[in-house]
Amino acid sequence: MIITDPRQPDNPIVFVNDAFLRLSGYERQEVLGKNCRFLQGPKTDKATVDQLREAIAEKVDVSVDILNYRKDGSTFWNALYISPVSNDRGELLFFFASQLDVSDRKRSEHRITADKDRFEKAVKERTRELEAALEAQTTLLHEVDHRVKNNLQMISSLIVMQSRTIKDAATRKSLATMLERIEALSTVHRRLYQSKDVSRFDVADFARDLVTDLLTASGRSEIKSTLDLEPIVISAEKATPVALMVNELVTNALKHAFKEKPDGTTAGRIGIKMSQPDGHFNIEVSDDGVGMADASGDASFGMRLIKSLARQLHADIEWRDAGPGTKVVISMPNEPQQKGNVS
Amino acid sequence: MIEPLKVLIVEDEALLAMELESLVEEAGHSVVGWATSSAEAKAMVDSTEADIAFVDIHLTDGPTGVDVAEYIGEKKNSMVVFMTANPKRIPDHFAGAIGVIAKPYTMNGLICALRYLQEGVRRPPPKSVLPAGFTLSPAFETVWAPVP
Repeated sequence: MIITDPRQPDNPIVFVNDAFLRLSGYERQEVLGKNCRFLQGPKTDKATVDQLREAIAEKVDVSVDILNYRKDGSTFWNALYISPVSNDRGELLFFFASQLDVSDRKRSEHRITADKDRFEKAVKERTRELEAALEAQTTLLHEVDHRVKNNLQMISSLIVMQSRTIKDAATRKSLATMLERIEALSTVHRRLYQSKDVSRFDVADFARDLVTDLLTASGRSEIKSTLDLEPIVISAEKATPVALMVNELVTNALKHAFKEKPDGTTAGRIGIKMSQPDGHFNIEVSDDGVGMADASGDASFGMRLIKSLARQLHADIEWRDAGPGTKVVISMPNEPQQKGNVS
Repeated sequence: MIEPLKVLIVEDEALLAMELESLVEEAGHSVVGWATSSAEAKAMVDSTEADIAFVDIHLTDGPTGVDVAEYIGEKKNSMVVFMTANPKRIPDHFAGAIGVIAKPYTMNGLICALRYLQEGVRRPPPKSVLPAGFTLSPAFETVWAPVP
């Protein structure tokens, strides 16, 4: 604590307590009679000094944090409070000044500001890195997707080209079946990555595409289709087995169901119905053809394929005599798959 | 009988171009040229006459298919159909193209698309239904497949 006398020239110190001497490192006789400015130094903020000067000139209270210098030249942060003291007649007698060393508080303030800056910088840096990584991932995904699609297209092309050179009808037929299966996979892939959400797959849209494509490709315009499709979304990992199964059933019906009916016509109808009663997903593929009795070698491979895919999907599959024709009913759970449960 | 189409193929994958050529010819149309880069494609556009150009987005000199489409659009001598595994690269205005056949397409899908395009070019608007896997550009959709 200090008391100064503004009525003397240059407002000198007229009283100091021991606490001030301990804080500043000076002897009493070194400070008495001096103006307080000896506490200031090169790093003391000029604006803060101006603030003090103004308050003293206007004879009002002032409270600032100011960087002061000890006798040995070391610095400390001083929470300085100055207040004028007047007599009964309003004449200014003294200034009373109290000092508090707040260097620790100032240090932690500085540290917090510096830490905050450092963290902000680190966060910005990390965000930039993550954004770059995400962009690289997205580019990679697009690149891989592009390559997979192109390769699927090339596989189809190779089969078709090879097939053109083959004379044997049975071999050609077998290649054609292979092409159908690969094209079913291709259609899944095309539809899957066309949508915004690559983890979900609309199986009804797929079935519509597939049946239209298979019917027109067969060139048998006398066979009509009946589609009764609820929009059903399944998870992406089920898309391929479901698609292959539907492909097998529809192509089987096209190939084997419509020989020649008892009334002498080859016309017919293929029906697909998809519905989802309580947590289940049902597919019915039906025809009004010759019935189940007929099964060639290829049909039995197709049958094995269907049964294996059904096992993979935990689906129940049942062949029913629809008299006339056949109805295949597939029923499988359609709940969101547990993570880590994917085999 | 509708007059067959003259087709230009702009595709960097030889296998796909070969197969596309066979399919186009089997369907009774003719292929006037096959280019694998944008420069080759532009030179071919200048020297040949095609009704339809099938243009892949990704060519040997990069994703320059859209450029090729714009070049053809300025010449106004043929119509463009994109054929790409990367349809998201096509700008919203489709660079004036009719639409896109997304890869992988099915052989039947392509045969249907050829028939559809033949009708669309010779006797627009096409009578056939829009084949699966074929997406029309917004401009052509309003003309060829107006919502009733």
